[in-house]
Parts: sequence; structure tokens; C-alpha cells
Amino acid sequence: MKAPIFFALVLVIGISVSCKKNPATKNDTYGAVRMNIRHSISGNDFVKDTLQYANVAGNRYLISEIQWFLSNVIFEKSDGTLVKSGQSEDIYYVDTDIPENCSVLISNLPVGDYKSIQFTFGLDEITNTSFRFVNPPESFMFWPEYLGGGYHYMKLNGKWLNTNDELAPFNFHLGIGQLSWNKTFNDTDFFDFGLANAYEHCEGFAPPFKLARISQFVQNYFISSQEIEFTIVEQSNTTFSLEMQVDKWFDSDQPFNFDSWGGSIMQQQPAQEMARLNGQKVFRISLIN
Amino acid sequence: MFSRFKYLFLSLFLLFSACTNRQDDVVVFKPTPYSFNIPFPFPTEMNIPADNPMTVEGVKLGRYLFYDGRLSGRTQPDSMMCCATCHIQSNNFEAGINHPIFHGGFVHGINGQQLDHVVLPLVNLVWNFSGYGWNGFLYQENQDENFRSIEDFVRIAVTAQNELMGDTTNVKTLFQQIDGYPELFKQAFGSEVVTFDHIEKAIAQFVRSLVSTDSRFDKYMRGELQLTPSELNGYVLFTTENGADCFHCHGSSGNPLFTTHKFYNNGKDTVFPAQPDRFSVTGDEMDRGAYKAPTLRNVALSAPYMHDGRFKTIDEVIDFYSNGVQLATLIDPLMHHAIRGGVQLTQSEKSDLKAFIVSLQDDSFLSNPYFSKPSSFPDE
Repeated sequence: MKAPIFFALVLVIGISVSCKKNPATKNDTYGAVRMNIRHSISGNDFVKDTLQYANVAGNRYLISEIQWFLSNVIFEKSDGTLVKSGQSEDIYYVDTDIPENCSVLISNLPVGDYKSIQFTFGLDEITNTSFRFVNPPESFMFWPEYLGGGYHYMKLNGKWLNTNDELAPFNFHLGIGQLSWNKTFNDTDFFDFGLANAYEHCEGFAPPFKLARISQFVQNYFISSQEIEFTIVEQSNTTFSLEMQVDKWFDSDQPFNFDSWGGSIMQQQPAQEMARLNGQKVFRISLIN
Repeated sequence: MFSRFKYLFLSLFLLFSACTNRQDDVVVFKPTPYSFNIPFPFPTEMNIPADNPMTVEGVKLGRYLFYDGRLSGRTQPDSMMCCATCHIQSNNFEAGINHPIFHGGFVHGINGQQLDHVVLPLVNLVWNFSGYGWNGFLYQENQDENFRSIEDFVRIAVTAQNELMGDTTNVKTLFQQIDGYPELFKQAFGSEVVTFDHIEKAIAQFVRSLVSTDSRFDKYMRGELQLTPSELNGYVLFTTENGADCFHCHGSSGNPLFTTHKFYNNGKDTVFPAQPDRFSVTGDEMDRGAYKAPTLRNVALSAPYMHDGRFKTIDEVIDFYSNGVQLATLIDPLMHHAIRGGVQLTQSEKSDLKAFIVSLQDDSFLSNPYFSKPSSFPDE
């Protein structure tokens, strides 16, 4: 009678071992951070397509959509140790038209006390390589090869009321900038590299540098850093609000006037530089729980 | 001792039995998975419904149905109509301004009633996740499950009064009776019983197989040929804000689909009477006058242009974007050149831009025998 019981036991154990996947190994020394991303104007979430905002330059404007890249998030522990995300690809695409893309989960972070967070607005020169993304929506952010390649750091699209009382479209697009030179190419040049810069196509102010040819590209990404004390708890999410204060792009140290810069700035490096400087005051991180 | 071995063997037998699929007892329907040969950097994610995976047999059947005039449910020569009646391969699976029946590329159905828009090309739709049709009225999240996919588009085209004006019951009954088709349905879907659901699925599979990735520009990007100086100038214009500024909506090397599949009010008009625009789908006032940006692949063959076919040539389209854009209140923000009436190209620039756009023509796609009309139908 013992034999049947013994083999029944073998059978049950055998089935349970052979037909189940091995349970994942638990590691209780890691937690995660969730970033809930907001886009605000004067502290409130912006209301799209409504002409209710004004900048210090006196432009009344509306915002339709914002698409941007957040990357290379680094957390600093209380002892000064820097901790990077354990994820293989530390790049996050944010889109105001895609709610699920406005919440970022960063996992595999060691538990403990921390004192600051930093991230890259856009993509740095190591990361920002053409054809990194082949699938939309990220691939739709490509930055043309002629203008430096890679991807837009941000597309911020809207309209402003110009001096003629027209609701004029603007594309506040940030990415790799271009510097120009005045050297004249030989007639034997294969094709006219200066073609796209040779005419004052853009509305608004047309400064002399638009008439010259590209000689150098400029990395306009920047690192945003904020001191903030928090604790990462094992097997738990610590939640933050990452707020893009949209109005700060226009109202910080370098007041941005749409009437001066017109509706497009991809080929206006001084405007890109203004945005890069203003960008230092654009982001605000606060602990939710 | 014998008893112990008996139980041991019994245990092992039961153990292996518990962990083994006994598929050999069942006749399993296994069509051949269809595989794409997609070059880098085209998207790797494709819009293929889980309930209609692509198979070699499904695409084959879909190709027959796509080209078979009996899809209207009729057999009289003057009443036959099918997908290929309006979607001609040599015209980028669009009607084309040189269409032999539909004057100027404005198509009409069996009853002679003209569509309220020109047809869109059936190219690279396997990468479209943003809805089908000029206003995207067929989209995956639609609460009405009858208006979501290419499969639904097939049913709509077959039954619409101003298209094939068919009846789904008549159509499936007719194909059930045509020699050779039941066997093709069995190969594709496991049953000789013809259903309209399977007709929809087969044609949708064929349409998804219509992929164009081999234009002169694609070859240039792969280093296989050099574009002409004029084409290269056009490429620069195409991809610069200070140039023609086409790339935000129509892609480029980084988005080789040459469309975002999104919907834009591109400044053709300033007033928007009731019409089937994007607003008619979303109810968002900002979408009035907005229509899908079609792909520019093979666009030289896709005249007439715009949703209403108002432009007959690429030159007219370039002229419009150069000097004819109207600053409507609802114009898309990407149309920032509208404040000056357009991108203000010189004649030379227009010529270069056109040269580049024509370089997006994929002749191997336009003559691909796998996409062309079968040499004979199953009953021939």
C-alpha cells in the first residue's frame, strides 16, 4: 500500500515541477520611480487651442500640442552616489496628445535616501543618432539630415496673434542647431548647399545669418537638475510630478517675441540658444508620494 | 518489486501525457505565414489585426478577389466592378487622372454616382495606425465595431450605393458557385464555405501586402545610386523649414513612409461647410477642414490631388504650397508659412522640389507581378 502512495507523490511532484515555469527570482532591494508629466502655463495645466495666454513680450498665444524627449535620468543618493536607470533604453517620448506617454516608470532603482534628480531635455550627442527609432510616434520626431540629423528634442506647436491681428501659426521646434559661414563655394560644388538658407522664406525677422551656409552643428540639449529629498522603498513606486512650465520657454531670462522670430526656429540658432537658456527654468519636479 | 516498477512506469506515462500536446489526433489547419522583406529603416511594427493574420494563401485569395469584377455580385460585363476598377497598380493603386473610365480620376460607382472625394492610394497601409480614409473614419478604437479596419472598408465599398452597390449575401453566394474559389477559401481559411467575413479578410490581407520600399530615393539612402543635383536640391528644400518645409507632415529619410498618416488643415480654404472632414469624425472644431496627409510615394501617378481632386498636377500642388495657402483660423500650426501665402519658392526651386518628389516613385512596386492582375481566375 505504501508503494502507490509513494509513486502518487512522485507523480504529483513531477507534474508540478515539469509543467511550471520557474518563478522569477525576487530582489527586494530595488524600487521604482514614476514620473507623472504635466504641461502647465502659470501653474495650471494648459488648455489646448485656446487663445488665453500672453508672454512678457506681449504676444497672445495658444498651444496646440507638445511632443518631446526626456532622457538619461540620473538620481543622486544622499551619499553622493549617482544612480542611473537600470533600463536598457533610458529615453522617453512625451506627447500631450497621448496620455499614456505622459507617465514614465523608471524601475530597478536601489532603495535608500536620495537628494536630487537630473535628466536630459532632448537627446545628447551620443544618443541622438539618426534612425534610432524606426516606429512612430518617435520616428516622426526625426530632425532632417541637412540640419544636423537625429531627432527633434521638442515640437511645441501653436499660434500667436501677430502685429496684423492675424492668428499666425508657430513651430517652436528645438534640436540640433546650425552655425553658418560666409565662404563662397566654388561653382563646381556638386549641389548648392546654401539653397535652403539663401532665401528669406520664413515669416518675421530674417537676420543675416539665415543667408549664410551651414559650417557647424550645435548641440542644444541641456541637463535639468533639481535638489529634492526622497526615499525609494523596496517593491514600491515613489511618485513625482515632472512639470514642464510651458510659459517659461518664453518668459525666463531671454524673453521670446514671436513677432521677432517668426513661426519657425529650426534654422535660427540664436533662438535655439535662447530656448536652451530659458529651458533651465522650465522644469519643476515635486514629490507626490 | 514488479509492483513498484508497474507504478513507476504508470507514473512516468501519466507525467509525459500531462505535459505533451496531443495534436497528432487532430487535423490542424495551418496556412503558411506571410513574411515581408522590409528594408531598414522602415517601421518594424505593422497594423495586422490579431484575428486576421497574413498568410500566403490569404493574400493569394485576396489578390483574385481584388481583381475579380464579380465582387459586385454580378456577372454581366457592364455591371462588374471590383477594387481594381478604381485602384490601378500602375497608378499607385489609385484611380489616376488618366483612368480609362473615370474622367479626370473622379470615380463613380455602378449607379453612376460620383464619390464625394477622390480615392486614396493603397500603398504601405500595413503601417497605418491612424485610421483609414481621408478623414480616418475607420479606426481601431471606434465604438462601432463595423467601422474599424481595412476589412470594414471592403464591406463598405462592396455595399455602398455609389461604389459596387452589391449585397453581401449575393456576393458570397456567387463566389461559392465559381469553380476553384471554394478550394482557395479552404486553403486560406480552412473551410470551403464562402463567407463575406473571409472575403473581407482575404482582400484586406492582399491590400496590406502592397508595400513600396524601393524608390530611387530609397536606393539613394541605401547607397545604391546617386540622385541628380536637381533631386538633391529638392531633397534639401523638402527637409528644411526655410525651404519647402514638407517634412513635418510628409516625412523623409527618418520617416520613409512619407506621411505621418495624420490629419491637417493645410490652408486650402477659409470656410468649411458641412463636409466629411476630420471634424465629422472627432467633433473637434479644430479639425474642420482637416484631411489625411497622403503618402508621397509614387505621388506623381496619384493625380488628381487633395481630397477633392482640385489640383491636376504636381506643379499645381507646388504652386499652391508656394503661394496659394490661405491663413484660415483653423489652419494647422505646422502651416506657419501661411502668413506669407506659402513657402515662396522660385521657379528653379519648384523644379528641384518636383524632381525630388518624383524620385519617390517605386517602379518595381508599380509593376510587381505579385501585385498585378492574375493571368487567369480560378474558374478559367
